Amino acid sequence: MIRKLIIPVELGDVEVRLLDWLKSEGDAVAAGDALLEFETDKAIVVVTASGDGVLRRVLFGSGDWMKPGDVVALLSSTADEALPAEGEVGDVLQVTFDVT
Amino acid sequence: MSRLFFREAIARAISEEMQRDPTIILMGQDIAEHGGSYAETRGLFERFGAARVRNTPVAEAVTVGLAAGAAAAGLRPLAFITYVDFLMIGLDPLVNYAAKLKFKSAAQLTAPMVVKATAGAKGQGPTHAQSLDSWLMNVPGITVLAPSTSGDAYGLLKTALRAPGPVVYIDHKRLFPLGGEVPDGETLVPVASAAIRREGRHLTIVAHSYMSLVTIEAAKLLAKEGIEAEVIDLRSVWPVDWDTLEASVRRTGHLLTVEEGQEVCGVGTEIAFVLQERLDGLRVARLGARRMPVSASPVLESYALPDAERVAASARRLLQRARQDDVAVTT
Repeated sequence: MIRKLIIPVELGDVEVRLLDWLKSEGDAVAAGDALLEFETDKAIVVVTASGDGVLRRVLFGSGDWMKPGDVVALLSSTADEALPAEGEVGDVLQVTFDVT
Repeated sequence: MSRLFFREAIARAISEEMQRDPTIILMGQDIAEHGGSYAETRGLFERFGAARVRNTPVAEAVTVGLAAGAAAAGLRPLAFITYVDFLMIGLDPLVNYAAKLKFKSAAQLTAPMVVKATAGAKGQGPTHAQSLDSWLMNVPGITVLAPSTSGDAYGLLKTALRAPGPVVYIDHKRLFPLGGEVPDGETLVPVASAAIRREGRHLTIVAHSYMSLVTIEAAKLLAKEGIEAEVIDLRSVWPVDWDTLEASVRRTGHLLTVEEGQEVCGVGTEIAFVLQERLDGLRVARLGARRMPVSASPVLESYALPDAERVAASARRLLQRARQDDVAVTT
């Protein structure tokens, strides 16, 4: 199963800046693993996976600006699943956001 | 160009100017170790030290009063007022002392100070969310600057920190979550230099601060109907860039002003009056907050304030009224 990681639309009318990926393409991800850090105008946000999978494709890099709704990465359940085109992925990866 | 958060553009401008001019000092609530209410002074205390980056108590009259006195005595203070609403408490030293000093002393004394304040509604309710730009433009001797982009936050603040007299630099809470392009080299935005954000031939819409962004969205709505609105961002509320405004309304013949503050005696009212004096037959309309305080209720807050739909509706009404007048004249 392929899932997408998105910047939550609940953030509203903001822009965020990607600081660092804490996982690389091809890495296995377990529930509770930190995936990436991004920055808002006043906080650093760590994004943590709520389920297991494999980080397959990273769509933004360090320093890139993103908006709510942007697809940041694609993850799959297993390492060898074929990736569909980005627009065809419907399921959203459940994550948690830790604000510091 | 680099893309920076609004707060980063502010911090960069202040840092460069403090490096250039050792008389600049900062005064305000939580601006030192904490890095500012909007994180806009982050790093400045560490770089410039406690003598030049000074926390003040929750006492805006004292903050502005000390800044005015320090300015008259040779420093160049930048005073931070977290919510422009609380500048009301500091108006006496700003209006009665700093703004008048040049006139009272036959220009032997000046008060080269900057008050940086944040205006605008974003859920903070009736006493933390007002827009008081028109109050300030009413006072002789005060320059009023209001950026709507990171680039202008940078360029206008640098200008403010070199200005001869008191400047009130007003930004807006809704601008801080946004990023924007800032020139890599030192580029100042002069006073009285409005920016044409979008060109159009059917009407001119003049706005400032966050309402410039709202107006650009309204212009996109109007464009779908074939109405081409020219959007001008004042950037400098006082002095006004009359020449850019006049040239635009001479092309379009119609003026709509948009602001987040009150329409009564508002920024737009002044602009419309002067431009009508300059151009016979100019058709004008104004849009501002409804005649009520800003509410903490999101429903009532958005009811009170202009949004893109209301701006577009006002533009349509202005053009429709003008067409009806034309028909009446010709028949």
